[in-house]
Amino acid sequence: MSVEAVQDALAAEHAAVWTYGLVSAFIAVPQLSAAVADGATAHRARRDATERWLRDAGATPRPPAAAYLPPQPVDSAASAVAALIAVETDACVAWRGVLERTGDAALRTSALDALTVSAVRATRWRKVAGVTPTSIAFPGAGVG
Amino acid sequence: MLLATATAPLAVACTTPPPPPPPPDPLAELVKAARSDAALATAVGAPETAAARTEHAQRLQAEVDRATPRVPGASVPPSTSASVAPPAGASREALVPALQAAQKQAGELVASVEAHRVGLVASVAAGCASLVEALS
Repeated sequence: MSVEAVQDALAAEHAAVWTYGLVSAFIAVPQLSAAVADGATAHRARRDATERWLRDAGATPRPPAAAYLPPQPVDSAASAVAALIAVETDACVAWRGVLERTGDAALRTSALDALTVSAVRATRWRKVAGVTPTSIAFPGAGVG
Repeated sequence: MLLATATAPLAVACTTPPPPPPPPDPLAELVKAARSDAALATAVGAPETAAARTEHAQRLQAEVDRATPRVPGASVPPSTSASVAPPAGASREALVPALQAAQKQAGELVASVEAHRVGLVASVAAGCASLVEALS
């Protein structure tokens, strides 16, 4: 059921938009603030496109939750970056889920794009956090 | 029953031409690229890239092997594996373009590949993009 998978991806995008908004107060380094702003813009655009896709498919896009729980409380630059790694990693899983549940070439193409850009941003934040390996061998596969 | 199983293949063999060889598996090309990138990454001292592309090659080869029809009793075809020699004069500068090409190569299969393969192929494409970011 691709609609259900796309609703899951929308939920991941809502969580990402919310989290990028939350962390912006904790990331003061100009270069990193710019990366936060880029990520926020990209996830808002992806969220809007995903809502459009659902409406076009005759479904009602699910609204965002009032708040999202990061894996650890965000109270510092380090915990802010950890929260960003978590939402990007979750987005990878959700978009790979879409890929596995649709044969529609256009939806697959946009899901691959979403998976790829989230994998790249997850890598960027892993690098900032000093996580090794920096890269993710199989983004969205739920491991690694 | 024993007789039937023993004679049926012979009867088929006498009356029909041998089936054409199966078309090459598109994932085999991804395996080749992954092995070649792993060799290049090893040669230029990029162990993280080498490890990831080796994993890509292994998982893709496992899927190719699983999908390859086997003639019962025939020996297992050697999966042209083992070491791939890196090109002479391998340089670190060659790594990023190679990974970008691999990302594109896997990405181009995503629209058309079977449902049970698309997750793996898409993760390989995104994984190559992640490796490029890690090297930047």
